[in-house]
Amino acid sequence: MIAQGDKAPDFALKDQFGREVKSSDFNGKHNVMLLFYPLDWTPT
Amino acid sequence: MEAALSSFQSANTQVLGVSVDSVYSHAAWAASLGGVSFPLLADFHPKGALASACGLYLDGAGIGDRATVIIDTDGVVQYVESVGPGGQRDIADLVATCKAVASNGPEFAAPASLPTGSELFVRDNCGASRSALWACENLHVKGQIAIKNVSQDAAAAAELEKISGGKQAPCLVVGGEAMLESAEIVGYLVEKCGRPVG
Repeated sequence: MIAQGDKAPDFALKDQFGREVKSSDFNGKHNVMLLFYPLDWTPT
Repeated sequence: MEAALSSFQSANTQVLGVSVDSVYSHAAWAASLGGVSFPLLADFHPKGALASACGLYLDGAGIGDRATVIIDTDGVVQYVESVGPGGQRDIADLVATCKAVASNGPEFAAPASLPTGSELFVRDNCGASRSALWACENLHVKGQIAIKNVSQDAAAAAELEKISGGKQAPCLVVGGEAMLESAEIVGYLVEKCGRPVG
């Protein structure tokens, strides 16, 4: 598992609107909180 | 999480959901929850690539773990927690952690609204119409737009033909202009009314 102090992986993925969201969109501006979850349609 | 979004934004934190589902599944599921406006990323192809890169992909089950990773503005991981697929996150704890990590960044822009008089024509049993409706739900704009179903309402069908010169739905009408492609409609709605990312 990734750990505190590691460099986060870069990503470029589409969201529910079909919009591409990239890790580089946030560098130097905002913290990012990634909420990994197993699957849609399961309890949150 | 949608309810806590402003607390995370105050802590200069962009919230991003991630699972191995597709864009289509994300849109449908998010709408069924009453609308999710923050990005749900489709870690779909290659499946689970981002989860794998974080060591959070469960190979046997073919799904991601339920886990939270907080990354600072330099791209360095500041917090990782796995609660297991069936576990639950402590939102209040996460807000506090994000506040502790927070550094100063530009304020998050507020979502804008649609021009008054905007209309969305949809039809039954139409995937493209459904996509447009999911976007309205996820962006919380249903109160700003008149939704007219041409399969159920003859007056709406007549109005659509008058405005667009045809019968094609979905059709988004803003400022008297008709938009007919669902990707263009969803793109316009998120560009205009979404929470800007980055």
